[in-house]
Parts: sequence; structure tokens; C-alpha cells
Amino acid sequence: MIFTLYKNRDRNKRISIRRLATLVLLLVFVPGISTATEHLSLTGSSTVAPLALEIAKRFEKLNPGIRIDVQTGGSSRGINDARRGLADIGMVSRALKQSETDLTAHTIATDGIGIILHSDNPVDQLSDDQIRAIYTGKIANWRELGGEDRGITVVNKAEGRSTLELFLHYFGLRNSQIKARVIIGDNQQGIKTVAGNPGAIGYVSIGTAEYEEQRGVSIKRPIVNGVEASIATVRSGDFPLSRPLNLVTKGELTDLAKRFILFAQSAQVDDLVEGQFFVSRQH
Amino acid sequence: MADRLFSSAVWLSAALVAAALLWIVGDLARLGLSHISLEFIFSAPENAGRSGGIGPILVSTLLIIGVTLAVALPLGLMVAVWLAEFTRRGNRLSNQIRLALDVMAGIPSIVFGLFGNAFFSIYLGMGFSILSGGLTLAVMILPVFIRTCEIGLTAVDNSWRQGAEALGMTRTSAVWHILLPAAAPAISAGLILGIGRATAETAALIFTSGYVDRMPESLLDSGRALAVHIYDLSMNVTGGDPAAHASALVLIALIILFNLLAQGFSDRWLYRRLAT
Repeated sequence: MIFTLYKNRDRNKRISIRRLATLVLLLVFVPGISTATEHLSLTGSSTVAPLALEIAKRFEKLNPGIRIDVQTGGSSRGINDARRGLADIGMVSRALKQSETDLTAHTIATDGIGIILHSDNPVDQLSDDQIRAIYTGKIANWRELGGEDRGITVVNKAEGRSTLELFLHYFGLRNSQIKARVIIGDNQQGIKTVAGNPGAIGYVSIGTAEYEEQRGVSIKRPIVNGVEASIATVRSGDFPLSRPLNLVTKGELTDLAKRFILFAQSAQVDDLVEGQFFVSRQH
Repeated sequence: MADRLFSSAVWLSAALVAAALLWIVGDLARLGLSHISLEFIFSAPENAGRSGGIGPILVSTLLIIGVTLAVALPLGLMVAVWLAEFTRRGNRLSNQIRLALDVMAGIPSIVFGLFGNAFFSIYLGMGFSILSGGLTLAVMILPVFIRTCEIGLTAVDNSWRQGAEALGMTRTSAVWHILLPAAAPAISAGLILGIGRATAETAALIFTSGYVDRMPESLLDSGRALAVHIYDLSMNVTGGDPAAHASALVLIALIILFNLLAQGFSDRWLYRRLAT
């Protein structure tokens, strides 16, 4: 009795497993076949990705039947994937290097990098030389810069971040020279770190810093070499420490890629660029 | 005196751990609860996730977990059964497999992400897809799941095996009807650990299931998992904090729900089998 019961159960189970297998197969393959759309893929910088995704959504809305997939992973991934053809377009949050001339850069926005301090720090002017001295450990106390008697916590970006490369290039430093106390990844992390430490100094995207300051986060932007770090000075070109946000491609562009890039550079996306706290192109 | 000291230390420790959880959940609730609504849960994200909701992201998350479980559950149980029931204690091959599993359990998740990207996404041509993400997570949670189940099976008293043999049950039915049900609490614990780790995973998914926040149409579409969304909102999106906190609350609720389901599943499905 017990055994026949088990047998029936087993048969029922076998049927349900078969049903499940069919369902899984259907899920995997059928929709894949039915959506025969034009497709564009972007990978790269996690700074550019949220902006590219918003631009892609607007482009998809205006052009039904087109799908644009945006993936992240950092600028080096953007370069690599565009080069190897793993993506149609790479996203890179810096200018291309000498060794990357096989790729073409299409700038869609600019991002300025500003120095940030805790808002309680009385220091509000720094020169390039002073910043260099702080980051190389030659100045280790705010007292030496006319501030309070407090140790300086140097916040640096992690290896591989475009902001780091830009910072090092501008100040003519090598990463091994920097005596960092804290290594951070993204802008938000940098702002949170500096806002939580009255002795900290860091560098982040100016748009992000401006926004967080308006929200009352305890950070401020000192004037560097006499230039105020703001969206306005980045757009006007007065602020030297800025980087282009690029879409990069290799070789001949497909029609779709060309259309998308032109769209991403047009005035139609200015509100999206500003919505991500970047500086839009001059049209 | 010493006894009282000890018991107050025990109580204090328990209270401390409970307080830590309450603190986290309370903090998230304070910052994120006002952002949560039915619309938030069902609608698509807008403006890089600052406004809109998390509908497609929830669907992708559930699909990824579904793929993970569909692969890890049967495979893990079978390996655990093989280790506990089909090999002799001290067998060299099984010891080496155990060691390999323990090493694998300690590998950081980003390594699984890079492996998944290289193997599932590129080599097997799955691209950035829910399937690739789910399989990567399955590989990631398998070691802990297998070892927990194996320990549960080994803990089953030998008299149960002898009883099954005395009744003339085949090895298969002894495993299926006696041993697995008896190990149900361990299996459910392994399941809860695995699901918890998979649901909270970010690094392994950024390079496999990806960043796309559109509603997935098939398992071959890229889909952003909830944990990836939270990471992006708090790290890359200026002003994304309220949405990040709200999403984190949903994630915690999801993990609690999965735990309850896993517990209920093991209690009902396996215990009932034992009772008949």
C-alpha cells in the first residue's frame, strides 16, 4: 500500500519535473526569438553609466524597436571592450591616452574635479603646491596652513579610477608618492568620508560636491590657485582640473551607433546631463 | 556570583546582537520608509533611480534567484548525498573535494563575478544575462550549501540507515525517504545561507547579469539585481540615497520572506515525507 502510494507520487513528480523543464526552456528561448530588435551595447565607466542609461532610455522612447544595453565596470573596461568588439561603444570618464589612438572619443559632457574639505575646517584657500605637499605627506597638520592643530587625513581614490589619473596628471604626481590615509572608490564615498572627518581632504566631482553642499552635507570647496571650483567655471573653461566624459568607438561606426552618439551630444539631452550634475556641452 | 555574571554576559551579548540588527533596520526605515509605496515597488526607475520605482529590478532579482536555486538545489543535494552516503570516511577523493569546496567557500565574490563573466557570459556566449548571473551565483553558493547539507546528513544516526536496510529499502529510497528528510533542518539552514548570500550579492552580478534596469523579457536579457541597484544609487548617483535606503528595506524584507519560505518548504515537504 505504502509502496504504490510512493510510486504514484513519483510519477506525478516526474510529470511535474517535465513540465518545469518545458517552462524553463520556453522562458529561455521563445522570447529571445520573438524580440528581433536592433541592438546597441555600451560598457565602461561607472561615472558615465547612469547618464548613458538615461540618454539610452530617451533614445529608445524616440526610436521604438531599438534596444540599448548599458553595463558598467570602469573606464579601462570601456576601452578594452570597445577595442575587442565586446561592446559597440565604450564609456570612458577621461581623455584618451597616447596609447589609445586606435579609438575615437566622442565627448558627451564634462566633469570638474574639485578639492573638498570638511566645512568646519577654517582653511579656504589652497595653492597647487600646498595640495601637492599635503598629498605627498610633506604637510601633515592643518596648523601649517593657518588652520587648527589637527592632523590631515588624506583621502585618495582607488587605483584604476579615472579621477585618480586626472588628479595625478594635473599635479604631476605618481600614485606611489601619495601618502593616503583613506582610499575610496566613488564620489559619494569620498563625500561621506570627508563629511565625517574634520581633518580630511579629498577630491570629487564638482557637480556632486555642489549638490551635496546644498543639501547641507558638511563639506566645502576651497578656492584652488585663485579659481573657484564650480559648474560655471568648469563650463567656461576657467577651472583647469576637469575631464571629458567620452563615448569611445573603434573603426567604422554602424548607422545606429552614429545616430546614438549624435543624439548623446545634442542639446536634446542637456537636461539629462545636468540632472546627473555634470556640465553639458556648449552647442 | 560567577553564575550570575555569566548569565548576565550571555543576556547582554544577545541583546547587543539584536540591537545591531534593530539599529540597521531602524536607520533604514527612518531614512527610507517615506520613499516606499506600492508605486515604488511596481514602477520602473527614472532619473537614474532617484525617482520612479524598482519594479523591473525586483523581477530581475527574483529571476536570478530562481535560476540560482533551480541549479544549486538539485546539484548541491546530489553532491552532498554523494559525499555523505556514497563514499567511505577518509576516502581521498572525497576529502580533496571537501577541501576544494571549503576553499571555494572562502573566495571573494568578485572572483566569481569575473569567472562568470569570462565563462558564462563570454565563453558560453550568454552575454550579460539573468541566466549568466543566476549560474554564477549558483557556483558561488554551492560550496556552503553542499557542506551544510553534508554535515546534516552525516549527523543522521546510523541506526536509521540500518533500519532502512533491514526493511529492504534500496539506497535511493533510503536517501530520498529517510536520510534527506532527517537532514531537513541542515538543508534548510544551508538554503537560507545560500539565498541570503545570493540576494545580497553585488560584485558577482555587475559583470554577469549586468546593469540594465529595463523589465526583462527573457532569461537571456540583462537585468539589474536589487543589490546592484542599491550599490549604484549610494555610490554613483548623486542624490540617490533616499531611493537606496528604500530599496535596501525592500531587500531586507525579501531576504526575510525567502527565509520564511525556505523554512516552511523544508518543514512541510521533507518532514511530511518522514511522517508517512
